[in-house]
Amino acid sequence: MQAFANQGPLEWSRLGPVTTLLVYKVFYGALAFMVLAYLIKIRQLLKQPPVVESTPPRGDEVRGIRYAYLTLAIPWELESQRQDWSSYVEFACLHIVIAFNLGMAFTLPIAHEALRKPWVVSALQWTFTAGAGIGIIRLANRLTRREMRAISSPDDYFCLATLTLWMFAGISAISQDSEVGLLVFYLLATLIMIYMPFSKISHFAYWPFIRYYMGKHFGHRGVYPRKVLPKAGRSPNGERQ
Amino acid sequence: MMHPIRSEKAQKAVGTFEKAIATREAVLALAACVHCGLCADSCHYYLATGNPKMTPVFKADRVRRLYKYHADWLGRLVPEWVGGGTLSSDQDLEDLKDVVFGSCTMCRRCTINCRFGIDNALIIRTARRLLTAHGIAPEGLLSVMRDQREVGNQMGISKADYLETIEWLEKEAQADLGLDFRVPIDKEGAEIVYVINPREVQYTPMTLLAAFKIFHLAGADWTMPSVGWDNSNFGLFSGDNDLGAHMARLAFDQARKLGVKKVVVSDCGHGYRTMKWESPNWTKARALPFEIESLLETMVDYVHQGRILLDPSKNPHSVTYHDPCNLSRSAGITEEPRFLLTRACLEFREMYPNRVDNYCCTGGGGGMAMAEYASRRLAVAQIKADQIRASGAAVVATACPDCVDGLTDLINRYKVHIPVKNVVEIVAKACVTPAEKTKRGMRPIPAELKGRRILVVDDEPDVVRYLSIFLADQGFLVSSARDGRGALAAVRQERPDLITLNITMPENSGVEVFMTLRRDPQTQGIPVFIISSAVDFRKLMYYREVRPPEGYMGKPIEPNVLLMTIRRLLEIKH
Repeated sequence: MQAFANQGPLEWSRLGPVTTLLVYKVFYGALAFMVLAYLIKIRQLLKQPPVVESTPPRGDEVRGIRYAYLTLAIPWELESQRQDWSSYVEFACLHIVIAFNLGMAFTLPIAHEALRKPWVVSALQWTFTAGAGIGIIRLANRLTRREMRAISSPDDYFCLATLTLWMFAGISAISQDSEVGLLVFYLLATLIMIYMPFSKISHFAYWPFIRYYMGKHFGHRGVYPRKVLPKAGRSPNGERQ
Repeated sequence: MMHPIRSEKAQKAVGTFEKAIATREAVLALAACVHCGLCADSCHYYLATGNPKMTPVFKADRVRRLYKYHADWLGRLVPEWVGGGTLSSDQDLEDLKDVVFGSCTMCRRCTINCRFGIDNALIIRTARRLLTAHGIAPEGLLSVMRDQREVGNQMGISKADYLETIEWLEKEAQADLGLDFRVPIDKEGAEIVYVINPREVQYTPMTLLAAFKIFHLAGADWTMPSVGWDNSNFGLFSGDNDLGAHMARLAFDQARKLGVKKVVVSDCGHGYRTMKWESPNWTKARALPFEIESLLETMVDYVHQGRILLDPSKNPHSVTYHDPCNLSRSAGITEEPRFLLTRACLEFREMYPNRVDNYCCTGGGGGMAMAEYASRRLAVAQIKADQIRASGAAVVATACPDCVDGLTDLINRYKVHIPVKNVVEIVAKACVTPAEKTKRGMRPIPAELKGRRILVVDDEPDVVRYLSIFLADQGFLVSSARDGRGALAAVRQERPDLITLNITMPENSGVEVFMTLRRDPQTQGIPVFIISSAVDFRKLMYYREVRPPEGYMGKPIEPNVLLMTIRRLLEIKH
């Protein structure tokens, strides 16, 4: 069953000129801008010399790097995630949903017929609803928890709010029943593409580098991979390990 | 965007910041944080207080705001939007100093537990670098840095005093190990050169004696250097890479000159980390002609090779191990101490969490040298105290003098009542010695020391009574005072050869008594042995407005250590 009722099928061949321009030109232009901006950003980063390690290794750098990348998929390795599984689930779901939303932005113009299948629409609508829900939870966390408010900048709120709105827009866009819905979805997608290199969303571009250097550093010193997993138990403040 | 008018110091600090972030790792640490807040629960400052300004990310953001303001694309246009800001006034610098020195021990627990791996310790060290470059740092830290640069060691011990103390310790060790025992100084071609933490010379010679015993029993071909012997390096805590390189060169040059195969670093967390991992990079030494290893690794080898035999029944109490941050999270040393303790003690108990997840002792990052933050340090130490208490162990072992001091302070504060020992002391105690059958024990008080005058100053009648009787039994002439005024009067009247002083007394406090004695040319030469559990002692030790006390001991009093220290202070003429 579709999660949201369609008003009627959207005919892609009869889109208005603004929507056509946005979907087929501006969006891809924004994408090209984003790619260019990131290339410049990464070039700037690579201009900075890395720390040159002149000591003989105590551990294995390659294993360290592999471990550093894999910790994303083995959440129990981090105490912060062992103690709070919900934060990991939230984190994983949000990023997967964003990837789906982004994927849909690229595939919709070229594969809109395939994406009309009711089960696809329904599955994606539930996915985007979950993502938007997590976005709202995260916004609420940021607004209500003192320690989160203390570290949040306007950029943090703006990025989260925009992404959340974008996921809501995805719910409408995937149903392909309204040109307005499609327009809003691509407007937000374009805005995100252009804003992304200037915002904290840039973290995704830094992630491979930072984990690489972290894994290399800790692998070299024999800290990574962890030698022994901590025994299950309770920390002094009573939290689960 | 209009740039603010800056004070001279702020202008210089900003200039330094731009140079300080010239590595890829530093840029990544500053640029990649998403403010997810996951690191909050990794930090003992936050866990203990719940103060939102104590989360690692908030503290790192005090530095990151500079990056956003000066280097971020959007931050350069609208800094407030991305949380950017700059340093404008001297007060801004003082505020930053309070954060980076007073509320972070650079323990890297948050780094290990960050999904990204943001190295907040690197960020904090970067800020420390820009502040210390302009003389903005806690006085104790600046004193230590000055002494390392000018004298070559963190306690400012002269070469003559160091060599005299080693010679005295050699005699002490002979009482236990036999008259053939020698501490070889500058022996060329030795396999090992042993570098130590200066506090071992000044305040905790028991750890040196323990190491001597192990080298002796293992039949090691070893030596101690006459220069470049300080393994500690405040270049790490101050962010000053030049100081780091200077200290490293002192040790490396001497090791090269002696032609040793190994530099063995005594139980010291940051000492090992800097010597092994940071110093070769600071000095840009491509290939050192010797290995660098921790005494823990050396002892493990000796056990494996059967060169020392351990009898766990000599340590019958249950022992737990506190992983020093610099050894576990920054140097990969977690299993060696466990290997040793499980063989040297009847019962070893883990504390949880442990290894790379262990909580900081609260005294790291140079914290012991920053007396102005002592109350904050101890206020956030509850979590560590609870962790130790939960282990149920009777002794806490560790492998770092800063951890020993930090843990001792918090154990006193939270009344955990568990002694803290260095791993080397426990291992040395467990060693089976050939001389055991004819063991002579501690060296007796020499005849020439009998009749020397000792003034005991303490407001606790029980302590005065105990010390008076104990020292009188050893042949000393003992007098006592219960408060500061009485102490000063007694010093002027009796001219004692040594004073034992409690620094927390009513009326004229012990600290004031100490300062008065040191400032008076008539009394400044009298050695003062502090017997107190108060953290105020650290201020006397590190601030160095006057010469630091010659000895220190916490309560409860350990008679053997007391006697050994008193003998040392009376026998060595500093």
